[in-house]
Amino acid sequence: MTLNLFLLQLFTGVALGSVFVLLAIGLSLIFGLLTVVNFAHGAFYMVGAYVGVFLLGLTGNFWLALILVPFVVGSMGLFVERFLVRPLYGRGIDYPLLLTFGLGLVLVELVRILFGLEGVPFDVPEALQGAVNIGVGWFPLYRLFLIGVTVVLVVGLWLFLEKTSYGLIIRAGARDPEIMRVLGVDIGRVWLIVFAIGTGLAGLAGVLSAPMTSVIPDMGTSVLVEAFVVTVVGGMGSLLGAVVAGLMVGIIIAMTSLFYPELSDLAMFILMAAVLLVRPQGLFGRKGLMG
Amino acid sequence: MSMTETDNGAGIAARVTDFIRRHRVAAVLIVLVIFPFVLPYQALASNILIFGLFALGFNLVFGYTGVLSFGHAAFFGIGAYGVGIAIVHFGWPWFLAIPLGVVAAGLTAMIMGALAIRTRGIYFAMVTLALAQCVYYIVYQMDDWSGGEDGLTGVSIRQVDLGFAQLSLLDPTVKYYFVLAFVAVAIYLFSRILASPFGAVLEAIRENEDRARACGYDVRLTKWLAFVISGLFCGLAGALYAIHLSVVPIEILHYHMSGQVVMMALLGGMGTFFGPFIGAIVYLLLEDIVTSMTSHWQLVLGLVFMACVLFFPRGIWGSILHWIRR
Amino acid sequence: MSVTGAPILAVRGATMRFGGFTALSNVTAEFPEGQLTAIIGPNGAGKSTLFNILSGAFPPTEGEVLFRGRNIAGRRQHHFARIGISKSFQITNIFPDLTALENVRIAVQAMTMRFDLWTPRSRLVAMEERAAELLRDVGLIEHQRRVASELAHGEQRALEIAMAIACEPKVLLLDEPTAGMSPEETVEIMRVILSLAERCTVILVEHKMKLVMDISNHILVLHHGEFLAEGTPDQVRANDEVRRVYLGEGRR
Repeated sequence: MTLNLFLLQLFTGVALGSVFVLLAIGLSLIFGLLTVVNFAHGAFYMVGAYVGVFLLGLTGNFWLALILVPFVVGSMGLFVERFLVRPLYGRGIDYPLLLTFGLGLVLVELVRILFGLEGVPFDVPEALQGAVNIGVGWFPLYRLFLIGVTVVLVVGLWLFLEKTSYGLIIRAGARDPEIMRVLGVDIGRVWLIVFAIGTGLAGLAGVLSAPMTSVIPDMGTSVLVEAFVVTVVGGMGSLLGAVVAGLMVGIIIAMTSLFYPELSDLAMFILMAAVLLVRPQGLFGRKGLMG
Repeated sequence: MSMTETDNGAGIAARVTDFIRRHRVAAVLIVLVIFPFVLPYQALASNILIFGLFALGFNLVFGYTGVLSFGHAAFFGIGAYGVGIAIVHFGWPWFLAIPLGVVAAGLTAMIMGALAIRTRGIYFAMVTLALAQCVYYIVYQMDDWSGGEDGLTGVSIRQVDLGFAQLSLLDPTVKYYFVLAFVAVAIYLFSRILASPFGAVLEAIRENEDRARACGYDVRLTKWLAFVISGLFCGLAGALYAIHLSVVPIEILHYHMSGQVVMMALLGGMGTFFGPFIGAIVYLLLEDIVTSMTSHWQLVLGLVFMACVLFFPRGIWGSILHWIRR
Repeated sequence: MSVTGAPILAVRGATMRFGGFTALSNVTAEFPEGQLTAIIGPNGAGKSTLFNILSGAFPPTEGEVLFRGRNIAGRRQHHFARIGISKSFQITNIFPDLTALENVRIAVQAMTMRFDLWTPRSRLVAMEERAAELLRDVGLIEHQRRVASELAHGEQRALEIAMAIACEPKVLLLDEPTAGMSPEETVEIMRVILSLAERCTVILVEHKMKLVMDISNHILVLHHGEFLAEGTPDQVRANDEVRRVYLGEGRR
């Protein structure tokens, strides 16, 4: 076991973790502002991959498909928030969750009807094929690209939330939606946008993963669990938590598949259990948030 | 004129439902006893029995304590695998295998509960889903014991020797009543628990957790205990399911099964005694009918569930009760 | 009224910080046993925060909460109730879908029967009788079978007080018990509180100065999260600091 192999696998973990980061950020945003746990998040991820396949088939241009997918999926999110989730606010914290669970089932089945039960192929675009020598070895270019896109998005999102007035409204709304309303902010519009961003990110994660994994209707099922583990470890409602925990889980899975393959499925759960015992609110979660 | 008629209608309905509710255990049992003669085929009746119990156990935590768990498949599944492993690998008789399944499920609930209860309210669903999925992966990996992807086969009990009688479980009707015996006892115990002071505490916690705490109740411990009791009941349901099917499929531990019991509980009416059974009946009948017409049952299920959440959150029985009270 | 004067409840160096905001700063105060103490101060003085620390809703960031000399800061909420510190909430907090009697019965039950899984509730006659007694004490006996959410605001506050005394507390903490009440309801609640003060120590947070001056034995004044003054109503009324702080607010 050379150091190079170790470091190379670490990079693989970061690439894997990047997908988790995108998913967890979306989940955390939606939870942080709307207090909704989006049980359809895995389904939106899957839909993103399929929309990507469709757009790629339509336009033949990977880059165009990549850019359009989050908008398409985000618009679906707009619709879902406005007409399905919003009527449930004030009813009790479990209802939006249950609704999104049902929605997830519907989305998966619709995709099965439209695209069939077998998977669809999605190749790595030519420009991103091949491997790059990153010093410790040859690493797939596409995975570097994935990491790059994630970094850009995380930084962009951070800038948006911290530096713009709209981002301020989102952060403030997460702390106290009542005050936002009193101040005249159209909190409904904020909810729409945040839900759209959250689902758009999930869709983007899906289309980015598509070349690396099999695009099948079920691809969101296990991803949902991973997204949940990451948000529990990182702390719900925390962007930093999503990033750190996403990378941690990605790296842990990658490293255990190398050293203890039998444990690789369970490794993230062990991490989650440890966090639950020692710091139940998550690494960066706020204590006492959401009783 | 018509107003008195409606009043009478509601009044009579109220008296009838009150009577039924006061003798709730008997009411459920009477229906379940005549079931096999009412339904088209045996397997459906047994399924309703088993899933009704599963939903009943789940309802203790969801409907009565107000806590949403998405991990109850773990208890159902461990109950099933417990019985399965005892019969297939240890060669135990039914009266040892079934308790093993139940106890194993209870232990799983104790551990899962201890980990999950430390989190705040809305996290609970996520954490239980993840923990239960962890159980799924563990059982999947231990394929020497569990059969892995193919499930555990050969969980069959052919004969039950009661001393004064010999029951052949190869006859589906006999098997149904064998399962019913367990379910009947479980329903009775469940009813006692709900009617006990502990049951009152659970309802208080659902109504107003902060208030319950201020009165001096250890809310966390109480929730954990409810979770464990729920796990025992669901474990029994799983054990009976394994015996009913003679195999334990790995899907039994997947979170889709957890979602299924949530849907049954919501459909029937959370926080009501009859709701879980009504929910199980409606769900399974609907599934039976729809799958015979189309292969897209999940679509119908998802839409029905969403409609339920949006428009009928009280569920069938809950809505009936609410209408009568108005 | 007990004349020991020894503090049954006290805070020492209590500080409470929420993120960057300091709600309470190094507050030390004693609450004499058997007395009726009022905590007063202008808005934002930290009264509710102190109340929450005393009742165990959350622990202070720094400092101690002493019950009969023992530090109980950081213990969980239900523990406070069990050792005899009982409270009513600022915003009425009852079990809305249960009847008034059931509300109080659950409170009574908390002291003795938390994990009984077998006895049918219908057999718990003694508890129901005790619950009825408590409802009588707060003047709600005619409403015992009414669903709590249907009671008038003043009646709900009274119900909450009945629940708070169900555990036979040594210390009863009341957070603005007269908030939102009509003058008649206020008189009635005050009568109830005074009668309760004969059986246990009462600590009130209140805005209505006239009320406070009329019924308390002891007053604690907070300002900007800090201790300002304490003493008998006369002492506090005469205190220069207090007069300065309240000047312009007038007597309510």
